[in-house]
Amino acid sequence: MEGGRIAEEIYAESLQLSKLELTSTGAAEQENKLNDCDDSDFGLDGSVWDDSDDKLERSSDLNREWQRRHDQFHTIGYRDGLIAGKEASAQEGFNIGFKQSVHAGFNWGVVRGVASAFAYLPDKLKERLVETLERRDEFQQLHESVHSLSTTDALRLFHEDFKAQEASGQSEHVEDSCGIAGLQEQASHVSHLTNYSGKLESLIHDSPSIDSHLPEPK
Amino acid sequence: MDDLFDSSLNLEETHFKEGYDEGYKDGLIAGKDEAKEVGLKVGFEVGEELGFYSGCLHIWTSAIRLDPNCFSSRAKTTINQMQDLVHKYPLMDPEDLQVQAIMDSLRLKFKMLCSSLHVKLDYSGYPNSSEATSIQF
Repeated sequence: MEGGRIAEEIYAESLQLSKLELTSTGAAEQENKLNDCDDSDFGLDGSVWDDSDDKLERSSDLNREWQRRHDQFHTIGYRDGLIAGKEASAQEGFNIGFKQSVHAGFNWGVVRGVASAFAYLPDKLKERLVETLERRDEFQQLHESVHSLSTTDALRLFHEDFKAQEASGQSEHVEDSCGIAGLQEQASHVSHLTNYSGKLESLIHDSPSIDSHLPEPK
Repeated sequence: MDDLFDSSLNLEETHFKEGYDEGYKDGLIAGKDEAKEVGLKVGFEVGEELGFYSGCLHIWTSAIRLDPNCFSSRAKTTINQMQDLVHKYPLMDPEDLQVQAIMDSLRLKFKMLCSSLHVKLDYSGYPNSSEATSIQF
């Protein structure tokens, strides 16, 4: 029973961690349940078999013991293996995610930086950098809307875009319940962040005094 | 009896190994997925901070080109230094060891610049991201 309990704990944990394991976990749990049944029926079983054949009862008892030991060691091994496997792939996974988001973050940061730095320039410099009042107002508006978004907000927008992109790119990644239903809704979100970049680009394009080559990461 | 004992030990080892291999396989997948989510978050935050400095520098250098005396010479030096730092930041290599030192230096110079230019340039998230970037495996 101890082994079964540990197994439940571990499998429950891994179930949360990865939906990919769903099938194997299901099978394992079924196995556990089977064992539980065996254990609880033991008394009844025993009394029946006691009368008829002692040897058979003992051999099935032995089999059960084998099975239990098998499960126990299998479970302990599984837990150790799970931890080791996670450690082995953590850095790789981190790097993959990092590289997928760092450019989007950078481009968004540029919008924030340009709009903020401009907003805090002395008025005289502002007028020389951006000649028309209309454009200066647009810069100011961009700054205000960008400034109202925290990093967490921006990250959320990015994540929505990213998930939508992933879902449309690979149908197998439509995993969550919101996968299909949320797709259309997400489509309207798509490139919220890049909208800001676009706005900034067009503003800078209209302002010849500002270097029109926006910084780009290597 | 000796044989039985031996085989039982062997079996236990085999079962352990079986479970271990299965767990390791699942762990590889689960660990990669979990760490990828962390990477997505940290990457965005690091990118945002670096992009923010880049964007500020973009405006400041444009202003200097227009009016070379608009900032003090000390401020101009700091701006140049920051540009070098941003330029050499290995954005696509989070495992690079100089990453933290460059970012620390950038933060410091940015603070100095802001106080010498008498501006208060910050946003909700930027100071917090310093914690996030120090998370490395």
